[in-house]
Amino acid sequence: MLALSITNGLVIGIIYALTALGVSLVVGIMNVINFAHGEFYILAGYFSFLFAHTLGLDPMVAMVLSVGAVFVFGVVVEYTLIRPTYGDELYSLILTFILSIVLQSAYLLIFGPYPNKPPNWVKGATDLFGLFMYGNQRLAALFAGIAVIALFFAMLKLTWFGRMIRAASQDREMAELNGINTRRLNMLSFGLGCALAAAAGVILSPVFPVTPTAGVPVALTAFVCVVLGGMGSMWGCVVGGLILGLVENLGAAYVSTGYKHVFMFVILILVLLVRPSGLFGRSET
Amino acid sequence: MKTKWLLLFVGLAGFAVLPWGLGVYHQHILIVSLFYVMMAASWNLLAGYTGQVSFGHAAFAGIGAYASGILAAKAGINPWLGVAAGTLLAAIFGFLVGVLCLKLGGIYLSLTTLAFSEILHIVINNEYEITRGTMGLQVPGLLSEYSKLGYFYIFLCAALLTLLVVHRLIHANMGLNFRAVQNDERAAASLGVDVVRVRVLAFTVSSALAGMAGALYGHYLLLITPHIPSLDQQFLVLSMTVIGGLGSFVGPIIGAFCLEILSEYIRVYGEYHVLAFGVVALIVARFAPKGLVGISKSVWERRRQAALPAVPVTDNGKGGARRGVT
Amino acid sequence: MALLEGRGVSKRFGGVQALEDVNFEVEAGSIVGLIGPNGAGKTTLFNIVAGAFPPSAGSVHFENTPITGMSAFRICRQGIARTFQVTRPFGEMTCLENVAVAVVNRNQGCPRHKWENLAREYLDAVGLAMLADTAAKHLNVVQKKRLEIARSLATEPKLLMLDEVLGGLNTQEIQEAIGFIRQLRDDRGLTVFWIEHVMGAIMQATEKVIVLDQGRILKEGAPADVVADARVIHAYLGD
Repeated sequence: MLALSITNGLVIGIIYALTALGVSLVVGIMNVINFAHGEFYILAGYFSFLFAHTLGLDPMVAMVLSVGAVFVFGVVVEYTLIRPTYGDELYSLILTFILSIVLQSAYLLIFGPYPNKPPNWVKGATDLFGLFMYGNQRLAALFAGIAVIALFFAMLKLTWFGRMIRAASQDREMAELNGINTRRLNMLSFGLGCALAAAAGVILSPVFPVTPTAGVPVALTAFVCVVLGGMGSMWGCVVGGLILGLVENLGAAYVSTGYKHVFMFVILILVLLVRPSGLFGRSET
Repeated sequence: MKTKWLLLFVGLAGFAVLPWGLGVYHQHILIVSLFYVMMAASWNLLAGYTGQVSFGHAAFAGIGAYASGILAAKAGINPWLGVAAGTLLAAIFGFLVGVLCLKLGGIYLSLTTLAFSEILHIVINNEYEITRGTMGLQVPGLLSEYSKLGYFYIFLCAALLTLLVVHRLIHANMGLNFRAVQNDERAAASLGVDVVRVRVLAFTVSSALAGMAGALYGHYLLLITPHIPSLDQQFLVLSMTVIGGLGSFVGPIIGAFCLEILSEYIRVYGEYHVLAFGVVALIVARFAPKGLVGISKSVWERRRQAALPAVPVTDNGKGGARRGVT
Repeated sequence: MALLEGRGVSKRFGGVQALEDVNFEVEAGSIVGLIGPNGAGKTTLFNIVAGAFPPSAGSVHFENTPITGMSAFRICRQGIARTFQVTRPFGEMTCLENVAVAVVNRNQGCPRHKWENLAREYLDAVGLAMLADTAAKHLNVVQKKRLEIARSLATEPKLLMLDEVLGGLNTQEIQEAIGFIRQLRDDRGLTVFWIEHVMGAIMQATEKVIVLDQGRILKEGAPADVVADARVIHAYLGD
């Protein structure tokens, strides 16, 4: 049914947007594409599961801790792996691609191949507009996603850190000349990018349980989102995410479920061909 | 120089008769290694020599394999012709993708090739009527009587052909263009290099070679599965090239052999196999980006420099004035 | 006869008008200087002529044929060579190979020994013969500039566009460079179009100077006249 597809599309679209923001942040500041972005999303889901299930913590606490843990992990990765790749896009691509595979196999070994699901925060379902019953956890995910995105934009606009990010992504050299410690900024931004992926992971994993390889489509979608929205545009990520979420769900419902991921890639290729700067991106000279 | 050629010939001859003294399992490892040599060498042509890091290489092998396999299994076409058709089809797709990626650089190009690879993977899985999806497509072999030895020689010839093509391209004048484009596209264009032609040529040739490798591999395994055009395979090929030495001629060869043999040993440990691989690749990529070849080259260079007298580099005057910012 | 001609060349980048209605001529066999304060649009003009990107409006003509919007490599094959303000050597390739790239593209199908010899000649001409087998990334700034000139010469151009080649050189080197560039015109018949900040060189070596300021032609004429012009001085020094 149309309304159901649209709702699903919006829910997943917000999460895509959140993940994409993480990618866009890192690309904008460091010009690095983190192929392992999806694996940070998954890691957060696993942490959330671990903290809540094995350690018995409150789901909310587990979620926050997970995001924090992934943030730290992200910082460590930046320091050890990404730092030496500055300026060399292809090198960072190769490194993060390998990292992605390493993490996936590590997850397989540690957590096993079966899906792991952190507990729901809310149960039951709501009657939406009298049209259909919709899972509350999904609705919660939608609102949580919106909240985190709003928080992120607020941080960008209002805090001093946010200002540094905006300055650095506009003009790195000028930012450096103005005394911004780009090394520290990079480290924190990378960590923040991973944290955004982690937030998406903890929000959505009660709905879509995590498996070792589930991070790959997440990362790919995030990349397409960033390209569609336009590199360097945060709002583009949000719009892009929503568009992709809707296209995917409508496509699955009305065209074919088997090919639902293909739409996203076709969109990617079309965008790169016709308007590489994306919907809102700055065009390169 | 003469000794180099002699050593090469002896080595090759030795390698050619090696399988006679080995059991079936080890012969299989040699054959698979040769497959990876073809894949790694052709990927290196694209990524190492023109700087286009494609994540779609395994997909081209898949195109070759499935094209050849489907023709042989469903249309009863002679597998040898199938291999030729598979190679041709892969070349055509390579050409198209190369043209598609022309306006893209770096990240965008890699993403597009990744998208292409994923689309192909999905299509193969979905159209199981034709491809038998994950169950695998059974295909006839290349030889009327199955013989590991026979396949070894087929793969050896194919690998030598691949290496020859790559070698010719790199060492002919075109090789200078390739590397110029990789180093700095804009500067290359300003010197008269047709960057478009270089990039598309690299894509087409590289894909054709992958297609040939994939087609042969399919007919060797007698079963073609979506594993061939998978990201896992892409990862293997990438690691082999990176660990061996991206951008060097022998790097992929060394990488392919070393890693395939290593992989067989690690296979004993079951699941740790991919992880171990990955960690090694990660460490090499991080600390020795030029791979094994790079490491041995710098050791060689350091020895050489120690032996030579200091070479006077042109004096640039009183320290040279700092370039002003314009 | 004007070897190179620009008519109404304009270029806009987003909100910035980098060049506006620029008309200029470079006569064959002359050395013409292009000066102007930072951000005037000099390199942008070079980029348009060399085919890095097309102008937003206007046209460029070389030997009376329009070359507007042609791709960079084709413009090179037409006979225009350029150096870059910040040198762009092929770092991982040797100096010899750097020059060879230009040689093999000018002489298609050239056998190895032939292009090696030719490349060596060009390296010799700029005094880099002994660094032929050194990777370009190991060179210092001055050597990189010489390499770039050697490379450009190897494309056998009719017009050589130099973008601030004297930056970072000491007095003696500057004099040598000026002499070298003059020789290129006198002996090889090259036409030189030259962006430069070192005014002394402009005064010495050029026959005509074009002044660009904020994307527009401010003045054009003999070096002495241009440099004495009040508006030009004002453009450089501001208020």
